[in-house]
Amino acid sequence: MKHWLRLHRLALGSTLKLFAANPLASGLNLLVVGIAVALPLGLYTLVSNLNDLSGRLHTEPEASLFLRLNTNPIEIDRVQTMLEKQPEVAAVKLISKQQALHDLEQSSGMSELLAGLGSNPLPDAFSLTLKQSSPEQLDALAKRLQADPAIEFVQLDSAWARRLASIVELGRQTTLTVAALFGAGLLLVTANLIRMQILTRREEIEVSKLMGATDSFIRRPFLYFAGLQGLLGSVVGVVLVGLCLQRLTRPVDELATLYGERFALTLPGPDILLLTLAVVIALSFFGALLSVGRHLRAMDA
Amino acid sequence: MIQFNQVSKRYPGGFEALKNLSFQIETGELVFLAGHSGAGKSTLLKLIAGIDKPTSGSVVVNGQNLAAIRRGAIPFVRRHIGLIFQDHKILFDRTVFDNVMLPLDIVGYDRREAARRARAALDKVGLLGREKMNPISLSGGEQQRLCIARAVVHRPSILLADEPTGNLDRAYALDIMELFKSFHQVGVTILISAHDETLMADYGRRILRLSKGQFTQ
Repeated sequence: MKHWLRLHRLALGSTLKLFAANPLASGLNLLVVGIAVALPLGLYTLVSNLNDLSGRLHTEPEASLFLRLNTNPIEIDRVQTMLEKQPEVAAVKLISKQQALHDLEQSSGMSELLAGLGSNPLPDAFSLTLKQSSPEQLDALAKRLQADPAIEFVQLDSAWARRLASIVELGRQTTLTVAALFGAGLLLVTANLIRMQILTRREEIEVSKLMGATDSFIRRPFLYFAGLQGLLGSVVGVVLVGLCLQRLTRPVDELATLYGERFALTLPGPDILLLTLAVVIALSFFGALLSVGRHLRAMDA
Repeated sequence: MIQFNQVSKRYPGGFEALKNLSFQIETGELVFLAGHSGAGKSTLLKLIAGIDKPTSGSVVVNGQNLAAIRRGAIPFVRRHIGLIFQDHKILFDRTVFDNVMLPLDIVGYDRREAARRARAALDKVGLLGREKMNPISLSGGEQQRLCIARAVVHRPSILLADEPTGNLDRAYALDIMELFKSFHQVGVTILISAHDETLMADYGRRILRLSKGQFTQ
């Protein structure tokens, strides 16, 4: 056990020496890994923030339903009864045209302008609260209602939220694709960096093998090197994403204020950051393993 | 200690470096291997160290047949062998001391004990005062002695030297031979190759003469 620890301490020592021997190259390598991490992680951050936003928006789907102008009260009653019978509808609220006008006056401050209109140009309307249903069900409901002769127009208020949700879904797929691409890139970059390390230390490896070094003795410092590079590289990546978020904070805040929302970009939680770290280290490690294995076999021949 | 049974070695391309060789070296023996360049001396040493595998026949070292051994076991065979090369194979990215430490680090020796042994080996070859230097500043003869210190630091039971005096003038060469003699006196089995037989004659030991991959008398 002590012997085993000693071998590992030795490998770690020679790894750190490798890093220190060439600070500029090591720094650039870390930046390469960092950028490869920052792109998918940044994308993920944006998408998950967007997702939070859309989650806040469509808590309960709603629909607005506008009747034809000058629909008579009997018709209005009939429509209301019909709406209440729909299985997808949770609550029905009539907004009469008088009330709508009144609300408009209150909220827009255009009372003088509206007063000059003479007659009320607004239709009677219903505000519907819907039960949680699939988008297809809601679409079918809208179509069914639209067919009623008294109904002028049905607007699903969830449409905008659904659009956002599908953008989020697109973003999520893009993130996965980008992450897969950069993961593969990271694997190859590490394999190549390790290959260069091996080539510059070829003599040492050959002499060590002649002195009775096992493959794992030779492999160990390179694996440590790759692991350490993955660890530090992903820290660089997270810092890069953090810096970008900081730059975006003000413009995002201004945009959100325009929409009357309080919204701030946040870094993913520690679980995602740790997962990123683990995946990056694993990929680096695996890349190094491939590279060293290939070269060890080549040196045998 | 070392036993060849009808060993042949053919390299890709058809060149037959060794032809049907059989011989035996007893534990504690000092044997010279003579022959011109290209006679197969280096190939023979490589087979003993497990660097190459014979095309046919068996090479038994320390009771293990290297022709049939699995790849992963070879490092452990080499740990009982000290290798000395004509081109020294010294690493110039580290000090004299660290060069000698390498075989001990590979085995995972206790650091303190290893340092003590490394200094003893350097003392033996007369380089103790130079341990902190970079080997690039050593002369050819000193580099060869460093190579010897590295080969014996882990106290191998077999010492293989491929043309250890090839590039040295006679005074230095005699120095090196005296070193080998002192290792022989403590029971190490030694095989030394050289193309110049004048050095060997003085020692009155067994000489294996190789020519075109076969022994001649």
